[in-house]
Amino acid sequence: MNAKVSTSGDIAAAALAPSGRALPLLDRSARIQLVIGILILVVATIVPSALGQAYWIGIVNLAIIYVVASIFMGLLLVDAGQVSFGHGAVFGAAAYAVGIACGMHGLSFPVGIVFGVLAALVIGVLFALPALRVQWFYLGFVTLSAAMVFPQMLFAFNTLTNGINGISIPLPQLNAPILFGLSALSIMTLVLGIAAIATSAIFPKTLLGRRMRVASASPEAAQSLGISPGRMRFIAFMIASFGTGLAGVLYPPTVGFVSPNAFHLDMSILFFFAVIVGGKGQPLGTIAGVTLLYLLPNVFLAQLIEYRPLVYGTVAFLVMLLMPAGIVGGVVRWLTLRQKPQRMPALQFGHIVDSAQVSLPRPEGNAIEIKDVRKAFGSVVAINNVTLTVRRGEIHGLVGANGSGKTSLLNVLNGFSASDAGTVKVNGRDVTSLRAREVAKLGVGRTFQTPRIFEQLSAWDNVQIGLDAKLSSNPTLVSEHFVGSLRDILGPLRTESIPHGQRRLLEVIRVILTDADILLLDEPAAGLSPEERLAFAALLRDLRDKLGLTIIFVEHDLDLVARVADRVTVLESGTVIASGDVASVWNDPKVKPLFVSVRHA
Amino acid sequence: MWQEYAIILVRGIGLGSVYALIAMSFNIVKVSSGILNFAQGNMFVLGGMMAYGFVAFFGQPSLGVWILLIPVAAIVIAVLLTIQGYLTMLPLSYSDDQQSWLITTMAVSIIIGAILLLVQGPNALMVRSIFANIPVFGMRVPAPFLMAIGLALFWYVVLQWFLSKTLTGLAISALWQDPVAGRAAGLKVRRLQLLAFGISGLIVGSAGFVSAPIITLASDSAVAYVLNGFVALVIGGVASNTGALIAGPLVGVAAMLATFKLGGEFQGLVSMLILVTILLIRPEGIFGSTAARRV
Amino acid sequence: MLEISGLCAGYGKLPVLRDVSFSAAAGEIVLIAGENGAGKTTLLQTIGGLIKPTAGSVRFMGQDVTGAIPEDLVPRGLRLVLDGHRVFPELSVFDNIRLGALASKTDKGAFDAAVDQIFEVFPILKQKARDKARSLSGGQQQMLTLSQAFVAQPKVLLCDEPSLGLAIALMPPIMEFLRSWAKNGTAVVIVEQHVDLALAVADRAMLMQRGSIAFNGTAEEFRAGPVQTGQ
Repeated sequence: MNAKVSTSGDIAAAALAPSGRALPLLDRSARIQLVIGILILVVATIVPSALGQAYWIGIVNLAIIYVVASIFMGLLLVDAGQVSFGHGAVFGAAAYAVGIACGMHGLSFPVGIVFGVLAALVIGVLFALPALRVQWFYLGFVTLSAAMVFPQMLFAFNTLTNGINGISIPLPQLNAPILFGLSALSIMTLVLGIAAIATSAIFPKTLLGRRMRVASASPEAAQSLGISPGRMRFIAFMIASFGTGLAGVLYPPTVGFVSPNAFHLDMSILFFFAVIVGGKGQPLGTIAGVTLLYLLPNVFLAQLIEYRPLVYGTVAFLVMLLMPAGIVGGVVRWLTLRQKPQRMPALQFGHIVDSAQVSLPRPEGNAIEIKDVRKAFGSVVAINNVTLTVRRGEIHGLVGANGSGKTSLLNVLNGFSASDAGTVKVNGRDVTSLRAREVAKLGVGRTFQTPRIFEQLSAWDNVQIGLDAKLSSNPTLVSEHFVGSLRDILGPLRTESIPHGQRRLLEVIRVILTDADILLLDEPAAGLSPEERLAFAALLRDLRDKLGLTIIFVEHDLDLVARVADRVTVLESGTVIASGDVASVWNDPKVKPLFVSVRHA
Repeated sequence: MWQEYAIILVRGIGLGSVYALIAMSFNIVKVSSGILNFAQGNMFVLGGMMAYGFVAFFGQPSLGVWILLIPVAAIVIAVLLTIQGYLTMLPLSYSDDQQSWLITTMAVSIIIGAILLLVQGPNALMVRSIFANIPVFGMRVPAPFLMAIGLALFWYVVLQWFLSKTLTGLAISALWQDPVAGRAAGLKVRRLQLLAFGISGLIVGSAGFVSAPIITLASDSAVAYVLNGFVALVIGGVASNTGALIAGPLVGVAAMLATFKLGGEFQGLVSMLILVTILLIRPEGIFGSTAARRV
Repeated sequence: MLEISGLCAGYGKLPVLRDVSFSAAAGEIVLIAGENGAGKTTLLQTIGGLIKPTAGSVRFMGQDVTGAIPEDLVPRGLRLVLDGHRVFPELSVFDNIRLGALASKTDKGAFDAAVDQIFEVFPILKQKARDKARSLSGGQQQMLTLSQAFVAQPKVLLCDEPSLGLAIALMPPIMEFLRSWAKNGTAVVIVEQHVDLALAVADRAMLMQRGSIAFNGTAEEFRAGPVQTGQ
């Protein structure tokens, strides 16, 4: 299983860059955890069946079903950043749909599965709708109340659900041994368990997984890459409900019975705590969590059923206090702390464009036209009637003191904040009322003042999300050799080892790889050494001359601006006080006093 | 016919005052530390259990003793909540993960519920009010409904005064507006946050004690109070006690209407629908200025 | 009044300050200049107690206060003012000022006198005393944050980029306020990008580069150009 996954990953990676060494799909920790996890599931399933221990077969199957449900809840929490305290309702809906279909109406189990998954998806949609509007613990409370209401509804509609009596679902054929002493049910449970744990390991490495993590870590960055955070959330709820639904449909045949009391809030809390206690984002985490919170208390406290909630509240509390990263997460962190600190080799930009590439003729027309734009936050006016034109294929420097409105202007330009008045045009098209994601798709890429390098993603994935996004129809001109060598550098690197100055550069490279044709760069050179600045200036010129890009960059280093900018705009407290070619702006009497200061730095 | 609605109204407002009290106790912790303390519901139930415990051991108290017992219950719960607040904030000072409170407060709630289950079993406890029913509009209303209203008004006035007139209260209400600026100004951040936890304990402790005869005192009844308190909080707008004071009775009346007209099992559904509707239409609540929405 | 020696600090494993030493005397205004990311803010926050230093020492009025937190430092008279005119937006202007005196336990008489002084220098704050702080403009909010520090009557004031987000025209009264403050014996350490504005009131000036002090001298020497010592 593991070997197969790696190979397909190798192929995918190799296809991108024939020159570079291919990266394995999963990092070492995820690989090891995946193998251990699958072994645990296989052994735990086979041994009780081989020994014919009916009690153990049942309890292991149920534990695996809970592991699956927790894994998908974890996907929602870790990859998509959505707090759901009501996942038990999704699970219970699937289980009850099977109960109603098979137990009350005598339909076959496969038909029951279809109904069960559909029921889970319906609840998923109901959860996803408020998630488009509210987040974090507000969403947690909405889903929590849903989990509380769910069993009440089972009582309320007792003609449909048999109310308090519950539904018994005798499916003896599923529990009969068919292969190596394993029943069909055990096999289905094992396969689902393995699929779930493989999903939890591989999903973050897929295109969708990367996008989801970006949308969760920084909705702004996601929008600037053309990703819709709302859509990502919705898809996450659908995936999570589908997986949880599959787990839920296996519940009735395993237990033989469904009743409202089985799907109380406790179940949702169990799923949530299993993820947290085990370790968020660790493939082995939920196995550890379910073992600790469900399996062990059930085995050792079988006679003392009333002590179980006490045990699991206490375990969750102590783990949060002592190992905030969870059990598996804590172990992984301890192992990484012992690893040697890494040094990131310097990035070389010389080859970003094939040397054979000839300089492009400079394109005609205006890339950006900003007219009379105004933006106030409360009573603080950030941009005061700014008018500004940027020609296609030029490097435009945006200078001014901190807080003079440079970043606010970029935010209005790329659609992050709606202007109070005025118009913004990109390549002749009015984008004033467009959202950031839509502006991005017109070929506008941007970087941020605080670099958006995400520790939730591997070092290379942080750049790859640029390759994933295709913001314009421009042909890809960045050389494969460059991409390959970048992958060689970043592949083995841990994200937290990337120094701050380099983070900005990586973010610049990320937007270049989106094929955007207008780049908005917010203080890209801050933190670079004088030598690195020279190389960076050459990079900007290459981007203009060889890729034909239009670049607006905010910068404090006036020497750098003078070296590369075709034109400069100076802002002071939200107003343009000068705009034009570098020489004339520098000699403007209004500008001079502003910058005597900065020259010292 | 109108009498039935009058009963619903009076009892709804009474029960809703309990929700308002819980919402106010959420508020003071929230404004000082950003934490929404899930365990507040079980602390409230504990306050009610103290009323039960006293009657069980010493018999029905006289009026004077009963009045004296209110601050006792409030202080006991306040001490418990201060300890809980201390433990909840421990990981926040050394971990990058600032969300641990979501789990620890829920875990504490589960632990309290579990202990209650062990101590007194799954059944709800009944506390008999020491007061006779009070005639209102020709009906006899159990006194605790009216006393809950009085207590909500009392805490509202006290909190408004404390949070706006005293320097300490001012600091508590300012902390989460800008925690770093608060630290830079030399405010004793942790101590103020613990004080806020303690005050929230005074509120729910006294609320639980006074309303014990009209609430469900069981190991698993806390969640419903947390949720209804939260609904009142969201409708009123987070951080607004005025909002909580008005929204609580609204939720209470809606819950009573649902119980009388649709049946008790629909009460939770109605609260949830109100919560979802308000979050979808006006996430910042009626009196709030900070939106729940984060995009 | 304030002596810093060999101070190092950083975020996680990334060092930001490397071996920073300087001192500030009572009544003196010390300017710290340097580009964004040079470590100026980190330096002020480390002295002010928001960031724990990894090495070196901070001495304040002869006592070692290395690693002390703001709630200990402010009552002793060391006060940091953050950049970005940060106020408590939902409180009234006057309540913001009142909160400034909580930690320092300024007595009523001194507080009233300080408030009178503030209202004299910044009459707009008196006009808007009952308005919520979020209704103020950026410049007024900066006046308010300084006033909040002023009522604490600190002996050392660390002021991070008072001009951030403000029109330069608004700055002279604010700088003047700092100067009069220093005249009464407070040591003022100020981080400022508008070096000229700050040099007009500063006694000494330093240049930070990549976490270290690249130049330290009098305001005149700095004006003459420390550039040769820089890049």
